[in-house]
Amino acid sequence: MEIPKQIRNKIVAFMAPIVEAVNLKKTYMLGKIPVEALRGVNLKVESGDFLAVLGPSGSGKSTLLNLIGALDKPTAGTLLIDSFDVSTLKDNQLSDLRRRVGFVFQFFNLIPRFTAIDNVGLSLSIAGMGKAERKKRAKELLETVGLKDRMKHKPAELSGGQQQRVAIARALANNPRFLLMDEPTGNIDSKTAREIINLVKGLNEEKGVTIIMVTHDQHLAREAKRIVQIFDGVITSDIVNGEPT
Amino acid sequence: MRTQDVFGYSFSAIKLRKLRAGLTTLGVVIGIAAIVALLSITQGLQNTITIQLETGLATDTLIVSPGGGAFGGGQHGGDFGGGALGGAASGFRLLVNDTLTINGLSTDILTSIAVIQRSGYINSTEHERVTTIVGVDFAEYKNIYSTTFVSESGEIPDNPENNTIIIGKRVNERQNGTVLFTAGEDVQILWANATARPPQNESYATHVTAVLQEVGGFAFGGPSDSNIYIPISTAQEFFNTSECEIIIVKLANSDQATIDAVVKKIVDEFAGEVSAISSTAVLNILGSVFSIIELFLVGIAAISLLVAGIGIMNIMIVSLIERTREIGILKALGMKSRTVLAIFLGESVIIGVIGAVIGIALGWVLANIVATVLSSGAITVGTGGGAGASGGLLSITPVLTPLVFLGAFGFGVGVSVIFALYPAWRASKLKPVEALRYE
Ligand SMILES: Nc1ncnc2c1ncn2[C@@H]1O[C@H](COP(=O)(O)OP(=O)(O)OP(=O)(O)O)[C@@H](O)[C@H]1O
Ligand SMILES: [Mg+2]
Repeated sequence: MEIPKQIRNKIVAFMAPIVEAVNLKKTYMLGKIPVEALRGVNLKVESGDFLAVLGPSGSGKSTLLNLIGALDKPTAGTLLIDSFDVSTLKDNQLSDLRRRVGFVFQFFNLIPRFTAIDNVGLSLSIAGMGKAERKKRAKELLETVGLKDRMKHKPAELSGGQQQRVAIARALANNPRFLLMDEPTGNIDSKTAREIINLVKGLNEEKGVTIIMVTHDQHLAREAKRIVQIFDGVITSDIVNGEPT
Repeated sequence: MRTQDVFGYSFSAIKLRKLRAGLTTLGVVIGIAAIVALLSITQGLQNTITIQLETGLATDTLIVSPGGGAFGGGQHGGDFGGGALGGAASGFRLLVNDTLTINGLSTDILTSIAVIQRSGYINSTEHERVTTIVGVDFAEYKNIYSTTFVSESGEIPDNPENNTIIIGKRVNERQNGTVLFTAGEDVQILWANATARPPQNESYATHVTAVLQEVGGFAFGGPSDSNIYIPISTAQEFFNTSECEIIIVKLANSDQATIDAVVKKIVDEFAGEVSAISSTAVLNILGSVFSIIELFLVGIAAISLLVAGIGIMNIMIVSLIERTREIGILKALGMKSRTVLAIFLGESVIIGVIGAVIGIALGWVLANIVATVLSSGAITVGTGGGAGASGGLLSITPVLTPLVFLGAFGFGVGVSVIFALYPAWRASKLKPVEALRYE
């Protein structure tokens, strides 16, 4: 039985946020010069959210996304992902956490020597899934992103949009708690970008996948339920369904 | 990640750079092949020589020669023709009739015989050959070396006439099988007397009474294929000497205690001016000499494998740098550091295993080729000197013991893995964000 959307969203709202950042700071050291990329970010992301992060270049969007994806550790402040405090996790635990996050990069980051199906399978294989099962699941995922007839193609034999679909399928492989997308349409023409956004939107609306997407395209950002603006390492506005919070 | 998937991933990375991986593997192949070939040949050579020594000389004999000290100075007649000048610096001379003294030393001594030898020539009307002329008591010699001092044609007389000679198989035949002398044929033997003033060639006419069966290789004090034998009395007269190069002592048994006791008695009797060596001692000395040679050769081969190891390390570091971004992706997908380590080590294991297997096979083939070349007579190995015998062809059967097989395999894989440790560790320590940023 399908739970109506409104009810499901209400249930979701009662659950603990899957991402919670409190006064989150990240300072890079350029030699001896500190670069403050994040200067105290406060953010809560609930399950089922579709969040667009907007901001000028160098404002700290990627830095924030890398922290949420457990690819990097914060300098100060707390970051809870799925109730785990990232700062306290060991290397191995961070790896485990990354498996529960689906990351989609601007430059696709597929393994060039692997076919589409093997690229998706890699994610599953890292999680310890066996070969036969992997193949079946990877096929399903590629069908979901509309690449049914491109399974045996290597990245070089696919268009940018198709490569990004493979990357999305790979990110979804291990049923992640949320999808992180760092300018997923940055390397794709606007028509294809629109298709990708529709795909992502569909995943959010129909499958309830939580999405955090960095973009600098205002039009694409409008497709999200929630728009967060970052300037110079701090969040300056947070608008949900057109209403400021 | 499952083990087979880790290996599968390593393999996919190797396949990507086939030529490079092939060349890296070649380094391991060469190192392992060299080790295996050298070890199996030296092992085979050692076996051959040991067997020939064991058949050539009964273990119940001692060789007494002038010069104190163990195995001293290569005096066992190997110093061809030098015997007449020879002896120790002290002026000590081992005499033919010292056998009488030795016989009386112990009841464990059954008999002893003197051996005189010089290098010289044997001539017939058509042929001339360089040889070693050995003077012995035929009857006693036959008694001691009953399995090797055996005639193939003609007869070995117990009471020979003075102008009787017995010739070794290889003196009699060329390598291509041409027979030069036959039993009953009249020949002349000749030696260069360097002690005469002025030095002059001396010769006498004689006839072949027997040709020996092939002895094979060489024998410590015993019959050799490249010697000719004349009666001891003739030798004393012909070489105008009462000295001998060695005295062969036949013991009642081959117990180590008997050997040690008799050796001590003989050495004491001659006030340390002689050495007495048992064939067992010679075998032991040869054994340790072989071990040293083997160690040396294998050491050199091992160095070539180390060079291969450094090659692996170099390639892995290049590969690590090239694949920085890929490692970033793997880590972003949640791969653990130790799995990244395993992938890189997996590549080196694959290279090591393939290299070792091909290397062992190639080494074995090489060993057999070398053995065939040696046995076919293309190369004559002079085993000369020390053992009182001259050169002989060696028929070597290379030996690949399970220990060498496993050792070479383990060493090949081990070296590959050890040199991959550092690059693999570096790969595993890459930070995902930095790796992904890498261009
Ligand atoms: N590894 C690093 N070392 C030093 N400084 C860094 C590093 N990574 C990022 N920065 C700095 O941190 C700030 C934020 O960078 P970030 O990549 O998060 O920006 P961004 O919002 O993603 O920009 P863009 O839209 O161009 O991708 C920038 O000033 C950048 O120079
Ligand atoms: Mg960025």
